[in-house]
Amino acid sequence: MRPFELEQPRSLKSALKLLDAGDESVRVFGGATALMLMMKAGVFQPTRLISLRGIESRYSKATAAKDGSLRIGALTTLSALGRTAAVRRRLPVIAATLRTLSNVRVRNVATLGGHLAHADPHMDLPPVLIALDAQLVTAATAGSRTLPVSGLFTGYYETALARNELIAEVLVPDQTGRRAAYVKLTTRAADDWPTLGIAVSLRTDGRVIEDARFVVSAATEKPLRLASVEALLRGAVVNDALLARAGEAAAAEAELIGDARGSAAYKTELLRVHAGRALRQALAA
Amino acid sequence: MATTLGKSNSGSAFGRSIPRVEARAKVTGKAEYVHNLRLPGMLHGKVFRSTVAHARIKGIDVSAARELPGVHAVYTAADIMKLVPDPHYGPAFHDQPVLAVDKVRHVGEPVALVLAADPHVAEAAAQMIAADYEELPAVFDEVEAMTSKAVVHEVLKPAGTFPDLKHLKGKRDTNIALDFHLRRGDVQKAFATADHVFEHTFRTQQVLHVPLEPFVTVADPTPNQLVIHTASQSPSFVRIEIARLLGWPENRVRVKVPYLGGGFGAKLYIKLEALVAIAALLAGRPVKISLTMEEQFYQITKHAATLRIKSGVSKDGKILARECEVWWNGGAYADIGPRVTQKSGFTAPGPYDIEHVAIDSYALYTNLPAAGALRGFGIPQLVWAYESHTDMIAKALDIDPLAIRRKNILKEGRPQATGTLMRDAGIEQVLERLAQRMQWEKAFDRGSDRLRRGRGIAIGFKASISPTTSVAIVNVSADGSVMVNCSTVDMGQGSDTAMAQVVAEALGVPVESVTLVHPDTDVTPYDMATLGSRSTFHMGHAVRLAAEDARDKLMKLAQEVGLSAETTPIPDIFRKKYGMQAGNIVGVGSFIPSYAPPDAQGQTDNATPFWMIGATGAEVEVDTETGEFKVTRLVNLVDVGRPVNPAIVETQISGATLMQLGFTLSERMDFDAGQVTNASLADYKIPGIRDVPAVMENEAVDMVQQTGPFGAKGVGESGTFGVSPAIASAIDDAVGVRLTSLPLTAEAVYRGLRANAGRPLED
Amino acid sequence: MTTHRTIAFTLNGNPVTVHAGNHQNLVELLQGQGLFGARESCAQGLCGCCTVIVDGQAVSGCLTMATLVDGADVRTIEEPQAGEGGLDAVQQAFIETGAFQCGFCTPGFILMTRQLLDAHPDPTDDEIRHYLAGNLCRCAAYPEIIKAVRLAAKKRGG
Repeated sequence: MRPFELEQPRSLKSALKLLDAGDESVRVFGGATALMLMMKAGVFQPTRLISLRGIESRYSKATAAKDGSLRIGALTTLSALGRTAAVRRRLPVIAATLRTLSNVRVRNVATLGGHLAHADPHMDLPPVLIALDAQLVTAATAGSRTLPVSGLFTGYYETALARNELIAEVLVPDQTGRRAAYVKLTTRAADDWPTLGIAVSLRTDGRVIEDARFVVSAATEKPLRLASVEALLRGAVVNDALLARAGEAAAAEAELIGDARGSAAYKTELLRVHAGRALRQALAA
Repeated sequence: MATTLGKSNSGSAFGRSIPRVEARAKVTGKAEYVHNLRLPGMLHGKVFRSTVAHARIKGIDVSAARELPGVHAVYTAADIMKLVPDPHYGPAFHDQPVLAVDKVRHVGEPVALVLAADPHVAEAAAQMIAADYEELPAVFDEVEAMTSKAVVHEVLKPAGTFPDLKHLKGKRDTNIALDFHLRRGDVQKAFATADHVFEHTFRTQQVLHVPLEPFVTVADPTPNQLVIHTASQSPSFVRIEIARLLGWPENRVRVKVPYLGGGFGAKLYIKLEALVAIAALLAGRPVKISLTMEEQFYQITKHAATLRIKSGVSKDGKILARECEVWWNGGAYADIGPRVTQKSGFTAPGPYDIEHVAIDSYALYTNLPAAGALRGFGIPQLVWAYESHTDMIAKALDIDPLAIRRKNILKEGRPQATGTLMRDAGIEQVLERLAQRMQWEKAFDRGSDRLRRGRGIAIGFKASISPTTSVAIVNVSADGSVMVNCSTVDMGQGSDTAMAQVVAEALGVPVESVTLVHPDTDVTPYDMATLGSRSTFHMGHAVRLAAEDARDKLMKLAQEVGLSAETTPIPDIFRKKYGMQAGNIVGVGSFIPSYAPPDAQGQTDNATPFWMIGATGAEVEVDTETGEFKVTRLVNLVDVGRPVNPAIVETQISGATLMQLGFTLSERMDFDAGQVTNASLADYKIPGIRDVPAVMENEAVDMVQQTGPFGAKGVGESGTFGVSPAIASAIDDAVGVRLTSLPLTAEAVYRGLRANAGRPLED
Repeated sequence: MTTHRTIAFTLNGNPVTVHAGNHQNLVELLQGQGLFGARESCAQGLCGCCTVIVDGQAVSGCLTMATLVDGADVRTIEEPQAGEGGLDAVQQAFIETGAFQCGFCTPGFILMTRQLLDAHPDPTDDEIRHYLAGNLCRCAAYPEIIKAVRLAAKKRGG
C-alpha cells in the first residue's frame, strides 16, 4: 500500500465538508474492511481518506421508536447491530442473517453504512432490508434525503449516492404482523460468498398471504424484487402447489448470472426449489 | 538430570501420546518461523511477474521502478547472469530460471525483482515495471500437450540427480518430460478372453497446498558464508543446489530452517531460495522475500491429471488384466513431477492382485504454474481413478463394493504390479476394519425421497520414495541431557516429538531429556528431505542408529572408567572420566534402505522399503431436488505400523483426510488463458470448521512394520488416499449419479440427476 | 496533515508510543514491537492468523490501519496469562488436546476461543463452529480444536 493522508473529523458535518473540498480519490470509511481489501489489491490507491469513526455517537447505534420502527445509525457495526435487543426481538431475520455474514472479526468493525454503500451484490443484508422495506436517510452539505434501500443500488458496485453524499441512517419500519426469512446458499465451502440469496417478507392472515416481498441477490447485478412472485402470492392461500408455482415464477422472471459458484442454469434451478423453501421458512418464523 | 541408560528408570517413550515438544511455544505465539526474522540492513524483495502464459520477452522497462525513492535495486535475468551464467535450477530438470530468461512460460512467472528497505516501496516499484512480450501459442491441457505444436521448453535439461532421467538429455521439441512404462503379463491377450472389459476416463483438477505461512526466505551474505533462512522442507537439497548454482563448496552455504507454518510438499527442493540468495549477493545486504497468499498460486501446485483405466474382468468379478494410461499436467517447470510420474506409476493398478498389467504414465509440460509434490505424490489422483473404476465395475456386474474388493485384494506375500512382494502391508486388515466400522454388512438407512443417503468405501496404497538417505547425530552432554541433530523439518507433522521419542526409546532415557537441534546445515547432517511420509522410517532409523552408537560409546566409556553403565547415572560417568562436568558423547547414524531400480518393463523385486495403506468410508446425504449434498460421516483407516505417538498420528490421519476433502469438494484453480482467476482464499475455498463432517472416525490398524524403527512407518499421506472415490461412490449409491471429474459439485450431481431423468440441463 | 503520525496505545497492558504510517496495518505495527504471534496470511480477514484484540473485540490485524489504534487497548497472544506457567485455560486445553499441528493459525484460534467463552461460557457445538468459522487451519486440526474449546470451557467453569 502507498502512503495516504487520513482525516478523522469529529462530526458528520465536518466530514461532509472535507468530502466537498476533496478531489475524486478522497473516500470516507467506517470499518474499512472492504476498503483495505481494495487498497491491498492495488485497485484503489487513495491520497486521502476520511474516517467516520469519530463522528457523533448517535450514528453508531440502533434506537427503537415507539411506533415499532428502528433507526440504525450508519456507523453501527454489524456486531453491535446483532447485539441490539430491539433487533433480536423485532427483527430476528436480521440477527439470523448476521450469523451467516462473513465472520466475527469482520462484523466487529464493518458498519451497516459501509455494507450498503459498497454495493457488492453478494452482501447479505441488502436483500433482507429490501424485503423489510427499509429506508435510507442520506446526508450531504446540500441537505438530506430519504430513499428506499431498493433504490440505492443502480448496478454492479454502483449506487444512487452522489460523490459527496453519505448514508447517515437506515430506518426499518415496524414489522408487526410480518414474517421474514433469508436463505443464503453456498455451493462450495460452508463459509463462502452466497451463490444465491433469497429474502422474503410476508404479511399473512391465517393461511392467506396478504402481502409479499420477494428478493433475490448474489446471482444478480444488484438485489432484485421479483414482481411476478409477489403478485402471485398476494391474496393466495398457502399450499404446496402455490409454493411450487412461486418457484416457477421466480425461475421465469429472474435472469441470473453464472460464475465459478454455478452456471446460470443451475442457479435458476436452485431458485426454483429454494423459493418455496424460503417461503416456508418465513411462514414458520 | 540424573538418569541412567536403560529402560528401567523411564518407561517406554515410544508409542505414548505425549504433547508436542514445541506446544508451549506455539500457543504463546512465540514459535520461531522465518516469517519472524528481521536482520539489520535487510531489504525486502517484491517480484514482478508475467501476465502472459507463453511469450518471448522483447523488453523489460525497469527505469521508473529504479527511480522511485527508497528503491535499492531492480534486477532482471541479465543481472542474475552476471553472478550465475546459467541460472536454471530444479530437482529433476535444470529447467527453471531464477528470473525469466528470454521467455516466460506461465502467468505469474518471476520476471524482475525490486529490493527496498520498506516493503511498501518495493511493492509500489514493482507495479511500475512494464514488460513487452511477443506472445507464443500456449498449451494448457495435459492430453493436448502430448501432440501440441506449442512447445514449452525447446530442449529438455535433466538435472542428472536421478540416473533414470539421463537418457532424456538434449531431447528436443517435446512436452513429455518423462514417460514411465510398466508391463507385466499380456494385457491384450487377457482382454480378448475376459468376460467383460470396462474402460473409464477420470479427471482431477489443479489445486494447491496453501500453507498458511506462505513461502518465505531470507538470505544473509556474511563474510565467510551465505546464510539462508528458509521455510523449506529440504535444507540439504537447498544447500547443494545453491552451492551448485554459485559454483561454491557446500560448506560456504549454510541453510537454517526453524518451524514451518505448513508444508504439504509445497516447500520442497528450491522455491524462492535461488532468487533470494543471488539477490542478497548482488545487493551485498540481507534480503527477504515473503510471498503473499496470491503469489502462492503461481509458485507450486498439485498435478491435474487425466487417467484412463481399462480392465478385463471375469463374470464373477475377478480382475484379470488392467491397463492404465495417465497424463500428468506438470505446468511450466518439471519440479519433482517426473518422480511423481514414475513412483505413482508403480501402484497405478491399485491394491489388487492382477496378473496382467500395463501402465503408461506421462509427465507433461504445459503453460500453467508448475506442479510438484502434494501430500501423496500422485497417489490420491490414482486412487480416485482406480477406486471409482472398481465401483463402476461392481455396479455393472451387480457385485457388492466390499465383495469385489475382497475378491481381488492384494494379499501379504503376493507380487504387485512391479513384481515386488507385499510385506508388512496391512491392506486386508485396513479393508476389513473399515468394513467393520462402517457396519457394511448391516442394513443402511437410505433416507427419504427428497434426502437420499448413500455410502462408499475406497482403499489405496503407496510405495515410499526410494532410495533416499538420512544422517543424524545424537549428542549426550555431561549432565545426561541429549541433543539430536537432524535435518528433518517439523512443519506440523510432529517430527521433533517423534524423533525425541525414538531417541529416548533407543537410549532408555526420559523423553523430556531429549531436545532437537533444528535443521542448520552447518550442524545438522544430510537428509534427503522431509517428504513422502519418509521421515519416521528413514530419519527414525538414522536417529535410532545414532542413539545406539552413543549408547555403545557411553557403555565403553563407563567400562573404561570402571563403572556400570546400567546402574551409574550418566553425569557420574562423565565426571569420573573428566573430573568435572565436561565432555560429550557423540553418536552418528546413517540410513539408506536397499532398493532395486525398475527395469525397462518397470519390474523390480524391491520397489520400496515400506508400503503405506489408507482407506476411507463415506456416508452422504443428497438433496434430490437440487443435487446439494452433505458428507455426514467419514471413517478413515490406515496402516502406519506401530504409531510413535498415537494422538499425533490421529491428528495426521484426520488432517490429511480433511485436506483431501477440500480437494474433493471445493478446491479448484480456475484459469482464463493460463491466468488463475481465483488466487485468494475468498475464491479458492479450503475447508473451514463448518465443513468438517459431523462424524469423523480415524484409526490406525494394529500392525507392525518389521523393518521400521521400533515397528513404525510414515503416516502423513495415507489419510488422503480413499477420500475422493469413497464420496463419489456414496453419491452414486444414494442417487445413481456417477461423477468422474473432481471436484464433486452439487451442480454436477444435479446435472447427473437431470440426465438420468432424460431431461438434461442446458449449459 | 501528513501520511505518518505518532500514536499512543496500550499494548498487552503497557503504554507504547510509536510513529506509524496510515498505510501500515496493525500486524506491521506489532512486528515493529517484536511481536510476531499475529501473522498476515490470507491478507483478507478470512483466515484469522492475524487476530488481535482491540478494546476487547477481536479484529483482523491485516485489515486494521495501524494509526487507528491510537488510544486503544491492544492485546495479543503474547500477553502473559494468570494461569499455570503463564498460560490460560484455553492455551492449556489446546496443548492437552493437541489442537494444532504447524501452529501458524493457533494464536488466532486461541484468541477467538477466549472471545467465544467470554460470550458463551458453555458453548454449543453450533456456537463453537459459528465463532471459529472465520479461522482457517490448513493442517485441519478442527476436530481437536472443538475438543480443546470444550475442555477450556470446562476448565474455566471449574
